[in-house]
Amino acid sequence: MSEELNYSKADIMVVTMARLLKDAENAFMGVASNLPFFAIWLAKELYNPNLVWLNIPGRVNPSPSYAPKSTVHAQLSHKGTASVTLAEIFDMSARGELDVAFLSGIQIDFQGYFNLSHISDGTRIMFQFPGGAGSALICANSRRVILWRTRHDKRTFNEKCQVVTASGNVYKVVTSDVVFKKDGPTLQLESIHPHTTFEEVVENTGFPISPAPFTPEPTNEELGLLREFDPENVREIEFLG
Amino acid sequence: MGKVNTLEQAGALVNDRDRLAMGGLLLQRIPGAFTRELARQGKRGLKVMKTAANYDFDLLCLAGCVDEIAAGFVSFEAEFGFAPNFRRSVQEGRVKFDENSCYTVIAALRAAAYGVPFMPIANLGESYLASKFKTVNNPYGNGDGDVLTVPAIYPDWAVLHVQKSDEDGNAIIYGPVFEDLIMARAAKKIILTTEKIVPLTEIQEDIDLAAIPGFKVEAVVEIPNGAFPGACQPNYDYSPESVEEYLTIKDNGALAEYLEKNNP
Repeated sequence: MSEELNYSKADIMVVTMARLLKDAENAFMGVASNLPFFAIWLAKELYNPNLVWLNIPGRVNPSPSYAPKSTVHAQLSHKGTASVTLAEIFDMSARGELDVAFLSGIQIDFQGYFNLSHISDGTRIMFQFPGGAGSALICANSRRVILWRTRHDKRTFNEKCQVVTASGNVYKVVTSDVVFKKDGPTLQLESIHPHTTFEEVVENTGFPISPAPFTPEPTNEELGLLREFDPENVREIEFLG
Repeated sequence: MGKVNTLEQAGALVNDRDRLAMGGLLLQRIPGAFTRELARQGKRGLKVMKTAANYDFDLLCLAGCVDEIAAGFVSFEAEFGFAPNFRRSVQEGRVKFDENSCYTVIAALRAAAYGVPFMPIANLGESYLASKFKTVNNPYGNGDGDVLTVPAIYPDWAVLHVQKSDEDGNAIIYGPVFEDLIMARAAKKIILTTEKIVPLTEIQEDIDLAAIPGFKVEAVVEIPNGAFPGACQPNYDYSPESVEEYLTIKDNGALAEYLEKNNP
């Protein structure tokens, strides 16, 4: 059925995350966060113009004139309404004032704990990952954390992360294939993107899940805005390489 | 010798095993030219820190200059992928990666800047990073729990690239400051590279932005494009082609050629 869809996995992830921001007070995105960039941009365009957009360069509510490949690019400090440095955004988080934060993990377990640190064989580091950036603080102290991940396989979604880089207030997990919600202590399947099936998701998930309905598809309005803003398809960048 | 130096003279101020806080973030306003000079001079045993880094720390790993990295994130973004020499150096045990949260890097620098031995910080959940830090009982609390703390780190140098400085090092940063100002206050001394050396009168036209005080600056080097291959807004963007070129370096011969070609 996938050949009939008029949108990409990036599109449905962006749109799904944007819709989660309808009632958000503010939203923070960090380094290497292309899909959150589009989600926040789209949410402000369409659903929540008062959403306060916070980012690493520290310019509140930027007006990027195009979508950059780097999410600390000068476009993230184009125009805007005020300056709040990264250190001060962490302070906001510590004070419990960050509403929504977008974070990601290379491994994410059934509790929503995630690993961006490393894999070791017990004595030495086998795979050094980039590090969790600000996520240890932000995940523990923001009100609602949305995790996103463009890869959905058993290596990513597992029973238990070997190393916990961050844990805390995970609210939703939006992947290339599904949406999980954190319900009590564990992740539960909330919806399945229409390009895949429950059976495939079971196959690619390393912890038990129960059936769920399809994720609502992107509307023509949402897709039109994204395509107009991003004709070069930068929003696909996390799926490349 | 005044403060205005050549890149070579400024590089010579850094001793093997010094601790450096390096300004900018990822590919934004990094001291790219100064990093290559450290590599050319064959520094050894450096300890470097910043919240989120890629090109500069990766190059110092490749050149064997660095023993220890304290950072929250060391990687390129989706456009270029992981930082290959950082990964390899850590996995092969040549570089110790003292993984932090970006917030704890800032806390360590803030403690140094404030002249106190440690900073109390907010909790880090069940992160393994929390186990690196000690707690103290809140002396003002009602027995309601311990507070996580981060010990001060005093860098020997803050190495910063700015748009504009006078010859005494009174300098202005335009656009995002990242952690540069905290580094400037935490470090014992500052080494500046600047797009342009201007008369003090030009600094005074924007005096409210002159947040880098010359009295802490030991050396000023004028290097147009000094953040290369990184960006220095609003002057220039990062160069994707040059980052790609850097990432093709596989051995010492190619590195030497790269450092020769890209000087400064």
